[in-house]
Amino acid sequence: MTDAFSRCHPILNFFYFAVVLGFTMFIQHPVYLAVSFVAATAYSMWLNGVGKVLKINFLLTIPSLLIVALLNPMFNHYGVTPLLYIESSGNWVTLEALVYGIVLGCVLFIMILWFSCYNQIMTSDKFIYLFGRIIPAMSLMLSMALRFVPHFIAQLKVIRNGQKCVGMDVSNGKWFKKVRYALNMVSILVTWALENAIETADSMKSRGYGLKGRTAFSIYRFNRRDKILGGMLAVLFVVSGYGCYHGAAFSQYNPRILLAGFTIFGRVPRQSCSPVLAVITFISFGIFCFLPLMLDLSEEYAMKKSRSHVHSEMTVTYRQIYEELANEMEGEHK
Amino acid sequence: MKIIEVKNFSFRYANGDRDSLENVTLDVEEGTFNVLCGKSGCGKSTLLRQLKSDLAPYGSKSGRICYYGQNLTEIDHRQQSQEIGYVLQNPENQIVTDKVWHELAFGLESLGYDTPSIRLRVAEMASYFGIHQWFYKNVSELSGGQKQLLNLAAIMAMHPKLLILDEPTSQLDPIAASDFLETVRKINRDIGTTVILTEHRLQDVIPWADKVYVMDKGSLLTQGTPREIGEFLKKEHHGMFLSMPVPMQIYAEVESDLPCPLTVREGRNWITQVMQKARHDKLEQVCHDREQLLNESYHDEMNVEKHDRAFEKNNEFESTKTDDFTQNSSTDINIDTNEVNSKSNSKLHKTLNTLRSKIPHMSKEFETPAIQVKDVWFRYEKDGRDVVQDLNLEVKQGEFYALVGGNGTGKSTTLSLISRVRAPYRGKILLNGVDIRRYTDTQLYRGYLGVLPQNPQSMFIRKTVREDLYSIIGGAKEKKSPEYTASMKKAEAIEGIVSLTRLEGLLDRHPYDLSGGEQQRLALAKVLLLQPRLLLMDEPTKGLDAEYKQELGEILKKLQEHGITIFMISHDVEFVAEYADRVGLFFQGNVVTSKPAAEFFAGNSFYTTAANRMARHYFPDAVTGKEVAACLKERL
Repeated sequence: MTDAFSRCHPILNFFYFAVVLGFTMFIQHPVYLAVSFVAATAYSMWLNGVGKVLKINFLLTIPSLLIVALLNPMFNHYGVTPLLYIESSGNWVTLEALVYGIVLGCVLFIMILWFSCYNQIMTSDKFIYLFGRIIPAMSLMLSMALRFVPHFIAQLKVIRNGQKCVGMDVSNGKWFKKVRYALNMVSILVTWALENAIETADSMKSRGYGLKGRTAFSIYRFNRRDKILGGMLAVLFVVSGYGCYHGAAFSQYNPRILLAGFTIFGRVPRQSCSPVLAVITFISFGIFCFLPLMLDLSEEYAMKKSRSHVHSEMTVTYRQIYEELANEMEGEHK
Repeated sequence: MKIIEVKNFSFRYANGDRDSLENVTLDVEEGTFNVLCGKSGCGKSTLLRQLKSDLAPYGSKSGRICYYGQNLTEIDHRQQSQEIGYVLQNPENQIVTDKVWHELAFGLESLGYDTPSIRLRVAEMASYFGIHQWFYKNVSELSGGQKQLLNLAAIMAMHPKLLILDEPTSQLDPIAASDFLETVRKINRDIGTTVILTEHRLQDVIPWADKVYVMDKGSLLTQGTPREIGEFLKKEHHGMFLSMPVPMQIYAEVESDLPCPLTVREGRNWITQVMQKARHDKLEQVCHDREQLLNESYHDEMNVEKHDRAFEKNNEFESTKTDDFTQNSSTDINIDTNEVNSKSNSKLHKTLNTLRSKIPHMSKEFETPAIQVKDVWFRYEKDGRDVVQDLNLEVKQGEFYALVGGNGTGKSTTLSLISRVRAPYRGKILLNGVDIRRYTDTQLYRGYLGVLPQNPQSMFIRKTVREDLYSIIGGAKEKKSPEYTASMKKAEAIEGIVSLTRLEGLLDRHPYDLSGGEQQRLALAKVLLLQPRLLLMDEPTKGLDAEYKQELGEILKKLQEHGITIFMISHDVEFVAEYADRVGLFFQGNVVTSKPAAEFFAGNSFYTTAANRMARHYFPDAVTGKEVAACLKERL
């Protein structure tokens, strides 16, 4: 992935996703969700391509959203606004449960979108690096596990081909034989793995594994851009967090629907903040969500500009040189 | 300054019944390139492992090993990890982490370096070894050669003073192997790191060595410069010279008082000198004989008999020539050397043919071929490139056919097509005249086709060799089963196979405890128990030393005598030249040419044996070291 945000320090990547996912999960205010949804869709499309996102959304996410939205009012009957009485079960379908179902479905939908971005940005080595900071032994373990899985799979293929050629593959024989052949292969693999692990252990030991004071190296550096971006993310997070703390994003769906900044059925939530703070909170959260995309776009623009700039500048310079030369020639002729 | 001193060192494994190392005494000078050689199981690896306490196996030892004058046991783990680098045999197993950069940093992390200094060291190493192009890759994406280079770089990142390599190239193809060894040499030359190396491919390393140590049966046979070793082995006629570079082998066979050649280039010059000297001697001899003759004929008319005898010594001349000489009293000797050459060439051909007394070719042209591949195409992915393109190939019944060619040209894929592990998308493969798709699994794999996989370890199931052999024919019980249809008793069959593949005495060992060559033979035995008529092998000589190769070659010859067809893929030009009947050159998914072995190698100028490259200006038809030596002897 050549996206600009993924080239930032993993701690920023992680912080960004933690905040975005956390806010989406716990603050169920429709405006927040709308902002989060737009940002997630845009970023996911930027990273994964428009077609893929649309395809996945229409085929998978929207149906599951609908299912969640419909299931909630079927099983939950809280709320003060009855819509429909179902005689067979003797329960009311309520507006509140329906709305909350839709909100839950949306949360799920948005989370899936965010995770599709997360998978592109937070690669396994970044994850390992982050946890290596906390527990160095664990980062090595994860790294070794990630090494062994493809190693074992490759070896299993070799073993299967070998066994196939003596007619003892799982594709041969009746089911009883099949099971026996499969077990044989597993046994070969395990023996092989244990035997070869000795050599790996030797290799680790001979490179000083087990000495006191092991450090964890990473290829990531916290550069100036990371500092700036980190600062911006932190400030925006604090501002929107402060706003939420003071009720700028208050939402309640049970027993009645109460949303900060909205008047629903003539009611406003008691715990409410000034509209200015609410607007600032929403805007800062919006900027927070869009920051990686803005970074990408600005980088793209800068690249284009620098390329065209170099080009135009050089032609201008050379044109000037030619013109000067021509003038000099003319001068000499005169 | 001596970096390593081994004094009267003996070692016995904890459960061993004899000393694996006996009274070894050797010194290694700082900054030198040292090669330790010997047959498999002679104690090379055991000795190398003793040079690093962490890797030394358990057992009783006596004598001393000193590192810079200090007893090795007194040097702590930290210093040993940092200063003594050790590269093991298998490139896969040494890699610990999943990323190239992490692997490079692993040792430094253990030593507790901080991030900036690790970053510098890693950057340095990646640039020096040319790893920067694949720095961010997963290790599973690397080729074998790249993996071993990574292992070397990961060790060099710790800046060791002593670099020990235990058969580092045995799992690599020839090109990757010589690249790797070249890098080791570069490290020794540029950085001055002391190198101790064991290797099968001695022709690549012996010429560079400052000192060569030859081990035999756990003790040090001799040590010295490569030339001294060559002369020693020649004098002793020791079996060890089998694994020496071909020029040295030929040198050891032929009488001459010139210094021992080490490389092909030196070998060429040496042959030229030997031949010129021989010709010169011959001329002188002729001259001398003639003068003597003339003198004698002046003095005594009665010694016709004697001059005849004198000329008989020169077997290049026919007796009729003597008349001309005696009649012509001129002292000008203008011997027609061309004639000498042509005479001796016909003789050489005879020599070569007797040497190549291969199994009388059952040239049954009318018989259906064992393998017929007709216009076969194959690719791995739908939009991938064709790995096998329009392949046509024919292997006759009872023939030993070898397919040689570069890496990644599709040789192994071809083998998997013939063994029906994969199926071509176009074209036909006929085995014994029947389409391969029409065989049932039992028909094909039990009784017709035997496939020896590249890695013998992928076949071992049981705890002992005996059980493992029985497992392939459905257990030790003597009853008829679909797995075993032969009329012979199982025990008898196993006994026969064991004596054929020389596994006697190993039956109660664990398959993994066998050496590489023995494992290979066990895998072969298992395949042969299925009584195949056609044996397919994928690089059977990989990682084997000269002696095991010879044993394998002899087993294969014996199988061939009994009418078994053998199809082999190999990188090992020397082995192919010695044992195969017909050789095909595989290139870009296709067999470019397919000729009898001698003709094939005699016709190529690059893709041919070292012996042929060395001697082709005199004996273009001599392909193996033995043949060149025989030709030379013939001429002297």
